[in-house]
Amino acid sequence: MADPATEMSGVWKIFGTAEKAAFADAKAGASKADILQRHKCVVGIADASISVQHGEIFCIMGLSGSGKSTLLRHMNRLIEPTAGDIRVLGQDVRALSPKALRELRAERIGMVFQHMALLPHRSVEDNVSYPLELRCAPKALRWRVAAEKLALVGLQGYADRLPKELSGGMQQRVGLARGLAADPAILLMDEPFSALDPLIRRQLQDQFLALSQRLGNTTLFITHDLDEAIRVGSRIAIMKDGRIVQTGTPEDIVTKPADDYVRAFVQNISKLGLITARTIMDPLASVQATRAFDATSAPRATPGANLETLIGLVAGQDLPVVIDDGASVVGAVTKDRLLLAIREER
Amino acid sequence: MTKTDQIARFAGPNADYYARTFDRLQEGVGWGFSFNPAAALFGPLWAGMRGLSFLFLFLCFLDLMALTQITSGIWGNTDGAVLTRVAQLETTIATRRTEATEAVAAGNSAAAATATKLADNLQKAVDGARAEAAQTAKGAGTRAFGGVMAFLIVRLASGFCANGLYERRFSAWRGNQRLPHGAPALRLMITAGLITAIYGITLYAVVAAAPPGWLTTFPADKALFAAVEGWLDAGFVATYDAGRGAFDGIRNAIRLLVEGFEMVLVGTPWPVVMLVICTLGWQIAGPRVAIFTAAALAYLGLFGFWELSMLTVALLGAAAILCILFGIPLGIWFARSKRANAAAQPVLDFMQTMPAFVYLIPVIAFFCTGKPPGIIATLIFGMPPVIRLTTLGLNGVSDEVKEAARAYGATEWQVLRGVELPLAKASILAGINQTILMCLSMVVIASLIGAQGLGSVVLQSLQYAAKGQGLLAGLAILLCAMVIDRIVQGSFHRRN
Repeated sequence: MADPATEMSGVWKIFGTAEKAAFADAKAGASKADILQRHKCVVGIADASISVQHGEIFCIMGLSGSGKSTLLRHMNRLIEPTAGDIRVLGQDVRALSPKALRELRAERIGMVFQHMALLPHRSVEDNVSYPLELRCAPKALRWRVAAEKLALVGLQGYADRLPKELSGGMQQRVGLARGLAADPAILLMDEPFSALDPLIRRQLQDQFLALSQRLGNTTLFITHDLDEAIRVGSRIAIMKDGRIVQTGTPEDIVTKPADDYVRAFVQNISKLGLITARTIMDPLASVQATRAFDATSAPRATPGANLETLIGLVAGQDLPVVIDDGASVVGAVTKDRLLLAIREER
Repeated sequence: MTKTDQIARFAGPNADYYARTFDRLQEGVGWGFSFNPAAALFGPLWAGMRGLSFLFLFLCFLDLMALTQITSGIWGNTDGAVLTRVAQLETTIATRRTEATEAVAAGNSAAAATATKLADNLQKAVDGARAEAAQTAKGAGTRAFGGVMAFLIVRLASGFCANGLYERRFSAWRGNQRLPHGAPALRLMITAGLITAIYGITLYAVVAAAPPGWLTTFPADKALFAAVEGWLDAGFVATYDAGRGAFDGIRNAIRLLVEGFEMVLVGTPWPVVMLVICTLGWQIAGPRVAIFTAAALAYLGLFGFWELSMLTVALLGAAAILCILFGIPLGIWFARSKRANAAAQPVLDFMQTMPAFVYLIPVIAFFCTGKPPGIIATLIFGMPPVIRLTTLGLNGVSDEVKEAARAYGATEWQVLRGVELPLAKASILAGINQTILMCLSMVVIASLIGAQGLGSVVLQSLQYAAKGQGLLAGLAILLCAMVIDRIVQGSFHRRN
């Protein structure tokens, strides 16, 4: 694969005064509870490694206290790691001087916060252009950029309002516009939609996905909601107690949970949209052997088609679905196999 | 663990009784009716043994009130003082009578008559005192009886309250098991020892005919006082001598500032000053405040307080500006450094609680008298609110917003200027307002050490009991305060 956009390897973070001693113990394999008792230190992140490709939306999922927000803050060094390597766009973040770090934060990394974190005394426009103002950009440029980004998130005409005059969803769109103001290559999103009500959340997720596709930035997206992670993420890392338990595509996570913890999460997720024809299809010959049919008049689908698509194709007629990868026929899915697959995944 | 086990662990001895009683009390609402014979019988001893220390002290106090009545009624030496006086008087009478006899023998009848008359008068006084003592003695029975009744009532009441209070302690103990519980022998012994000592000493002082001096007054050490006093005096002199240059420099700088203000406020013709202040009020706080300001200024002018008010305002302005100039940076520092804040809190408490008159003393020791020391005294008093409210305001700024600014590459200075100070503005302005008003109240006290202004008029009125003048000058100070307050507050409200 090409150079990843950002990469972390073997990152540890231990909070407390006896950081060094606690780290030595933790590395030797002492448990979180032991460390807390022995050194009065909290293990925030334990040996986490992730690698995010350009243009990818990488979700970090975990319950509160699992260390996901802490991990995110290592990317722009808002939190100093105890140990480990962090590279952003090829730069070693830990080796940067304060000035270079500020430049990286201002020009390469945008960040969106759970509670918006807008400046209440400044207009929407001044909030959006705040990152540029920190870099002493001229006012005309700031206003131009603010207008452009507000249009991007659909908030034209709100430039002169104060944040408190806007609804929660609109405020978060201002937050997103601010995150995009410096045209950053990387966007860090810390539970951006958690504080919103479900309808607005859904709407913003869609809007964000469309925007992300258009702009093509790399995004690290934190959430505690697996549904959201599956909707938004191209890959997901699941965290528990500061460790990354599993990393994979939504389908990997749902179909092959690494342990009971992940399994418990996945249990109530609807898998119809995640399981593809590739996983359940049988060879065309064996299907033909049970019941001969005319493959040319049967409905066709690609191996990547999910169960929902297959259900749509099967309904209203009797023939199995023929799976075709564009070049040749690779298999078939009968109605019975489809029904069994749906039951299995429940 | 069941509740009964819990009560057993909590109560220690007599756990069954308390388990039953608590069960019954917890079935009811509010104070259930119950009587604890042990508490009634032993009173403070019970409370102390059970670890109810406030009840222990309260019962000791009530017990002692009743017991002193009883003992003084029965064995007391209440007439002791009277009898001593009678004995003295009788000696004097005897002397006078001897003088009279000697005068008669010497043939000086006039002197004899005077001495006899004196002796007779004294005799009357003695008879009066005797009658008084007899009256007291007759009342002694009643007092003893009253004491016994009071004692019984206190004990009954403690018997009735005890279980309820103890049950409350049990409820509190369930959440915080470090509270005293059980009845360990050590606590019983300490309680018994305390009761013996307190009761013994108090009752001895009542009964004894002549209690020793160290018991009635604290044995003061005058020599120690003199030594420390002399040492402090010498310290002041030495410090002043050592830092004379610095002290004089500060004094001169402050004098320059005040004189600058005075030149502007007093030197400019009054219509100009009045117009400027009213316009300022209008622009900052709106037309209503402007009208109020005009009326207040008219009062000051009409009653001849104009120049004095301007002197006061100059003094106040200098003090307030210095307060803000030093207070806000200090507040910012204390908000950033936990350690500095912890060190500063007691100092700030000290500055605010110390009576103003007391710190005038070191101030005049180092800065002599006049306006500059007046301002320094005002600074000590007026600075804490602006420091505290600045710190409070900065600590109240949401961490996420600060973090957001840092995430976009802000320097610490940019975070402070662009995020923290604007968001803490309301609190800081409230602090400035408080400081200005405190400075104003201090300006009056500063007139004691020669800072001129409206305060000196009030001081003069106090010295010569000039009631009318004092009231009018006081009202003038009040109006100054209100004008400043309205304008500063208006600046805040308008923006919101």
